[in-house]
Amino acid sequence: MKPPLGASLLRLFAVQGSWNYERMLGLGVGVAEEPLLRDLRSGNRDGGSAYRAAVARAAHFFNAHPYLCGLVVGAAARAEHDGAPPEQVERLRRALCGPLGSIGDRLVWAGWLPLTSALTVAAVALGAGGRAVAGFLLVYNAGHVALRWWALRAGWRHGARVAVALHHPVIVRAQSLVGPLAAIAAGFCLPLAADWLAGPLPSWATTVAALLGAAGFIALLAAPRLTAQRLGLVLTAGALVIGVAWP
Amino acid sequence: MTASVAVLGALVLWGTLVGLDLVSVPQMMIARPLVAGAGAGLLLGDLGAGLAVGVVLELFQYAILPVGAVRYPEYGPATVAAVAVAQASGGMAAAGGGGDHGGVLALGLAVLVGLITGMAGGLSLHQLRRLNARVVHAADAALEAGDPTVLVRLHAAAIGRDAIRAALVTAFGLGLAWVARFAIGTLTARDLALLDSVAISAAFAAAATGLLRVVGTGTNLRWLAAGLVLGMLTAWLV
Repeated sequence: MKPPLGASLLRLFAVQGSWNYERMLGLGVGVAEEPLLRDLRSGNRDGGSAYRAAVARAAHFFNAHPYLCGLVVGAAARAEHDGAPPEQVERLRRALCGPLGSIGDRLVWAGWLPLTSALTVAAVALGAGGRAVAGFLLVYNAGHVALRWWALRAGWRHGARVAVALHHPVIVRAQSLVGPLAAIAAGFCLPLAADWLAGPLPSWATTVAALLGAAGFIALLAAPRLTAQRLGLVLTAGALVIGVAWP
Repeated sequence: MTASVAVLGALVLWGTLVGLDLVSVPQMMIARPLVAGAGAGLLLGDLGAGLAVGVVLELFQYAILPVGAVRYPEYGPATVAAVAVAQASGGMAAAGGGGDHGGVLALGLAVLVGLITGMAGGLSLHQLRRLNARVVHAADAALEAGDPTVLVRLHAAAIGRDAIRAALVTAFGLGLAWVARFAIGTLTARDLALLDSVAISAAFAAAATGLLRVVGTGTNLRWLAAGLVLGMLTAWLV
């Protein structure tokens, strides 16, 4: 049997489309898994009830990193085909939530994304312009699509024993490499961006920016309830009021 | 803002796509301020303004780690609106109005519009998620029966709602940008420079704390310091 992994992959790109506080990614996972379950219907096992029960299970609560949801989609669908008991499929889904969230967050949100984004900021500051942004989209999404495709294929290949895939040497190596690389890129981009953005400002405004930046940094570290957005709003609105009121 | 109706329509469409990309589909990172800003800049014929606003709001974005059900501002459509402010100020300067310091004018005012729009976007996302939960809850029986038609319909409708939400947030932001245009004319070069410096300082404070949180206090902190030194050297040399 050749599973319709392509159709499932396409649906995985919208896995968070119906994100909600009740089932979180559940519906999206169900939608992505449904093409892989159609064989259960055509096989006419139990008059299609096996298919419907599997679709219902697929849409239950689920939360993980969206790029790695393919692992649970493939693994759960494979387990359904292999005739795993419903409780085992549910256990498999529950067991994958934590690890897939943790690995995905480290690999993508705290690794690949800050790495590529910071390099793009640095490239823009160095004068690469729009080409840097185009390069970011290409490079970032090469990793993004590859990860989604690998996750789905690995899930389908390993089925209920999908935990093996999480110890794949490439994933393990990527996790240890991407953090330090992202840290270097983040550090690299900040002085370049500061130089580029503050360049057109008069010297007094550069001094104001440096002092306020340092004070803002300390304030954000010291007051956890103060978010970056609130700090930005207060400072810019305050500067606007001062600008309007000051003759 | 002197954009034509066609350009305004294109900006709303771009803001909608950018808003959809953040969570719903396809998460290819056009929602990042850098990309959203560059796209808006291209539509408005001022890529430089788009990149400058994009970089500042990208620095704000570093303070956000979108894990679990955390609530956060939405900077994609916000960047589109902010670029409209920056582009309008550039046009006014060319026509002899507004301030006169070089580069992108009214960057600070653009960031203020972006931050307010980002806050509106974040609130709208929270409301959408609550609405989605209610709709899903109402369809529990059909979902538990494994009806694939209901499942796909619910999912597609939620994406449609997100598209409408993103379009409304973008339109709100562009409305703010239109109002901000009047402020630009009343501000002097000194006021604009003060606003720019304040916005840039807040962006760097946000980026530094956000990146520090991502990097942690282990070995990666040393790599961050090494990157900082390398960046300072490069800035000095270039």
